[in-house]
Order: sequence, then structure tokens, then C-alpha cells
Amino acid sequence: MSRLRILPALKALIAIKPKQKLTAQYLLSLFIAIVLAFLVGAGIMLLCGYDPIECYAALFRGALGKPRAFGNTLAKTATLCLTGLAMSVAAKAGIFNVGGEGQLYFGGLAAAVVGARLAGAPAWVIVVCALLAAVFAGGLYAWVPGILKVKLKVNEVVTTILLNSAAIYFCSYLTNGPLKTAERGISSGTDSIAVSFSPIIRLSNLNGSIWIAFAAALIIWYLMTRSTAGFEMKITGANERFAKYGGIRADRLMIAGMVISGMLCGLVGMIEVFGIHKRFITNLSAGYYFDGMLVAMIMRYQPFGVIVMSFFFAILTIGGSAMELSAGISGEVILIVQAVIIFFMAAEGGIRQSLRVWSAKRRVKRTHAKEAGV
Amino acid sequence: MSDVFNLLLLQNTLRTATPVVLCALGCLMTERVGIMNIGVEGMMLMGAFFAVLGSYLYGSWVMGIVFVIVLGILLGLFYYLFSIKFRSDEFVIGVAINILAGGLTVFLLRTLFGVKGSFSGPGIVPLPTLHFTWLESIPVLGTILSGNTLLVYVSWVLVILCWLLLYKTPLGFHLRASGEAPEALRAAGKNPDRMKMLASVLCGIMASLSGAHLSLGYLTMFSENMSASRGFVAVACVIFGGGNPPRVFLAALLFGFIDALGLRMQKYIPADITAMAPYVVTVVMMVVVVLMKRRKKRQPQEGR
Repeated sequence: MSRLRILPALKALIAIKPKQKLTAQYLLSLFIAIVLAFLVGAGIMLLCGYDPIECYAALFRGALGKPRAFGNTLAKTATLCLTGLAMSVAAKAGIFNVGGEGQLYFGGLAAAVVGARLAGAPAWVIVVCALLAAVFAGGLYAWVPGILKVKLKVNEVVTTILLNSAAIYFCSYLTNGPLKTAERGISSGTDSIAVSFSPIIRLSNLNGSIWIAFAAALIIWYLMTRSTAGFEMKITGANERFAKYGGIRADRLMIAGMVISGMLCGLVGMIEVFGIHKRFITNLSAGYYFDGMLVAMIMRYQPFGVIVMSFFFAILTIGGSAMELSAGISGEVILIVQAVIIFFMAAEGGIRQSLRVWSAKRRVKRTHAKEAGV
Repeated sequence: MSDVFNLLLLQNTLRTATPVVLCALGCLMTERVGIMNIGVEGMMLMGAFFAVLGSYLYGSWVMGIVFVIVLGILLGLFYYLFSIKFRSDEFVIGVAINILAGGLTVFLLRTLFGVKGSFSGPGIVPLPTLHFTWLESIPVLGTILSGNTLLVYVSWVLVILCWLLLYKTPLGFHLRASGEAPEALRAAGKNPDRMKMLASVLCGIMASLSGAHLSLGYLTMFSENMSASRGFVAVACVIFGGGNPPRVFLAALLFGFIDALGLRMQKYIPADITAMAPYVVTVVMMVVVVLMKRRKKRQPQEGR
């Protein structure tokens, strides 16, 4: 009963908290930040002797120009979106999951092992079993730092980061040792899986797994914005003590947020294995989770915003490598552009306030000068 | 197994621990003013690159170190500007610095040196190795302690200096106060933000220096992502060293020992497992420290 009465009050509290929402002003700042970041990128290109307009044209052409490129961009969007939502779910519950990379590796490995061992079974059985295995492996690996945080107050940021490296090395050990395939020509990878998704657009990375990603994103969006659990998570993330007062088991929600986050990462691992590589390989992910994490941070962990921003970042990532091929400039310049966007957006409130203080000071000075002149 | 457990293992321990020690000292400074800086990983990586750049361009390791110190000061000011002045989320800024470092170093590596992956060559002048004849005359200690590169000794001096600074000087008192009781410091007429700026500049310098040890001391090359999460290990060391320089030093030494042991055990155990060990041990240590603290609290306190 008491919980029901408190909820409206909590809702009001969240509405007041400025950092929680994507206001029009925030979106305007985001637009300015993106423009500024592109200008910084252009400056670097000029310094290195490249034509920025040509480079950026190559970037957008490389990401959207051909159906194949567009397919790759969409596939990348799905990855970024799922990892971004994974970060958001945990962050909204008040716990940071920086270990998505490790969870992704374990998810992918579990899916690859199941996919190879079940050879001969109907395709849908294999897919479902691999999905369950991936989600379970990812969730389990996220549960460990979650429980350590809740029960022992061990800093989850540090443990999850360290567990990333541990997982990547462990998977590398398994793929080079006990699980190494007997197939020739594969230097380090597991046995190939029995079924895989076929590409929707020819030669592109876009494949049937996009529907799984779509469904997962929809579920998470519903969970975060429309369900009671999502609401409780939001409150827990905003103010843990207040949530406890309202009868919410904050520690349970934190673990739930962490585990769901890990499950999503495991799912991304499975999609990589089933959609692209057809087996587990040692370099399954090139920091995909970190890219998603950035998207989530920029969009303040808002599910819908994450989905839109994922598309933009996918254009940058896919276009970046195309730009390297056609314009000759190193594609890493795009990473710098992305980092600049994040710096500006993280400091958005502070910069705006500093500007306001600065202009107020100038106004005061000017009035003083005028008065002195009169 | 005598090829694993010998004096060289201890010398290797010192070498592998040094980047973590330096980085942890930097991280400790910001930790004491109340900021957890996970951007030290990126600062280390950038330090490693600019050390090689300075050393290569001018053909002297001194210029490498000068480059790194200038870089460290700039990074520290940058970090201060964003995380304190603009009051952004320190965690987000830390992650962004790491991303920037990953992108910038690879970009510069390809643009300036025109290579992919790693850069090495005779043009890079490594840090000098110091030999102390008086030390070498002592049988066991001599082999372990003498003949290390410059920054190994610098890191030991810095451990003592940091401890002296934090606990024996008024400045250190103010530094700690700006993290623990900023209002009290303000009431005493000091500006806590000033202290935080000092701490983040010190952090920038030491974290960048740790990178210089990686690329000019431990190895004589730069390779992409060569910091390999050592910065994060340093953050963990600061946490279970309780923010006290000597204890943080011991924690980093433990990491170095496991790292060095792993390198030498590769004959017997798969390389991936030995590479994994330091990270797993660090996580386990973090848990153990919490459990130990709990037990201490539970014991009935006598004399009250």
C-alpha cells in the first residue's frame, strides 16, 4: 500500500531531475556538439593534408551509398543498439556494466559450442538452444560482478573491466586448446556451426539475426519505459535510498539490471557467431561493447535515443573504414570525432553554465563601464 | 622449475610492476581528492606513444621524457577542465579519454610513421639502464635491484615522495581535505578546486610516465593498445591499497609478480592462461580485501 502512495511522488522527483531526460535543449546541444566534432575532425584532416569535404563525402558514401554498404550499416546499428541498451539497462538500475566485452565473448563461445554440437537437429532447435546458451553465459558472467557489488560493495566498474581481459584470454585459450577445430586453414577457432543466418542483402553483414536483435530491443524498450520493473529501476538508479524507502528492493534490481545487461551482450556474441563468422574466433569483437556504451552515455541511457544514435554511430564506423580505403586517411580519425562528441556531451551542462556566467560577467562589466562613462 | 623460480623472476617483477606502480600513484592522487580516474589507461597509452615520438624525433630519451611530461600536464589540465570545472561524469570522461587515446595513437602511428600495428626501429633511444657498483657487490640484492631502467628507480622515489607529500606536508593535508571535506577546506580559506587541479596534473604526469616506461624502458617500441588494461589494474591497486602509497606499491608489486611469473611459466602452462592470471588475481584480491575488512569490523573492539 505504502509503495503505491509513494510512486506518484517519485515520478515527480524523477521529472525534476534534469539529467534524466532528453530535453529539446539537450538535443540542440547534441547537434552543436556533433557539428563541432566534425569540425575538429576536418581540422585534423587539413593538418594531415587531406580534403575534409572529400573525406566526409567518402564516409557517407561508404556507409549509405550502395545496398551492400547500407546493409552493413544496419547490421552495425543492431550491434550498437543492443550493446547500448545493455549499458542503459544496467546504468538505469544504478550499476555500471563495463564488462560487456567479456560477456559478449562468453555468449558467443557458448552459442558456437551449442551450434556445433547439435549438428543434425532441426535448424530452429539449434538456433533456440544456442540463443539460450548465449544469453545464459552472458548473464552468468555479469551476475558475478553484480553480486560482488551488492553483497560486498566491490566496485563494479573495476571488476567488470578486469573480467573483460580475463574472459578474452580464457576464450582464446579454449579456442586454441580444448575447443580448437580440426578443420584445416582455421588458425584459431571452434568447429563451424551447423546452421547460420543467410544475408538479407547480398554480400553484406545484414542477416536474419537482425530480427532477433529487433525483438530484443523491443523487449528492452518495453521493460525500461513501460513496465513496473523498469520504473523501479529508474528510481533505484536516481536515488537508491529513496527507492528503498518506497519499498523497492534496490539490490535485487541492481543484480537484475546487471544480468539483463549481460544477457544482451551474450546475445550480441551469438549474433556475431551465427550471422557473420559461422564459428567462434578469438577476435570476435573489436570493442563493440565500448562503442555501444558511448552511444548509451551520449543519449543519457534513454532507450529510444540509443536506437537513433546507434544508426548515426554505425554510419561513422562503417563509413570510417570505407573512407580509409577511398580517401586514404586513417579511419581512426572517426574515433577521435566520436570522443570529441562525448567530451562535449558529458560536459554539456557545465559548458552551458560557464558560458552563462561568462556572459553575465561581461554584461555586468559593460554596464559598469557605461555608468562610469556617464 | 628452477628456470622459473630464480632471482631473475624478482627482477622481472620489478620491471613489470613499474608501469602499474607509476600509474597507480597518479590514480591515487585523484582518488585522494575524490575522483576515480579510469582515464589513466588512456593516459598511459598516450604517454607510451609520445615517449617513442620524442625519443625518435630528437634521438634522445631525455626528449622522450620531456614530451611525456608536457603531455601529462596537458592531459591533467584537460581532465580537470572537464571533470571538475564542467562537472561532468568522471566515469564518462575517463572512458572518453580511453577511446580518444586508442584512436589518436593509432591515427598518429599511421599518419606520422606510416605503419600499422607497431613501430620499432633503431631510431628510438631507450631509457638508460643504471648500474650501481656498490649495490652489485651485495650478492642477492645486487642482481635484483641493480641494472634496472631509470624509471624503475624513479617510481620508488615517487612512492616515497607521494607518501611524504600526502601525509607530511600542509599541501598534502589540503589535498586530502579537498576530497574528504571540501567545505571545511573552503572554510579554511583554501580553494578545493585548486587542489583538485594539482592532483589531476600530478595524475596526468605519472600516468603518462608509466606509458614511457612501457615503450622506452620495458620494451623499445610502440604497439597499438600496448597498455593492455594495466591502467585499470592500477585503479584496482589503488582501491585495495586503500589510497596509501606504500600499500598501493605492494599491491602493484603483487600484480607484477604474477605477471612476471606468468611470462616465465609459459613453457608449462598455455600462454593465454598465464596472461589471464593477473586480472583474475586482481579481482580476487579486491574481494579478499573487502572480506578481511569485514572480519576486522566484526571482531569485538577491546578497551572501549
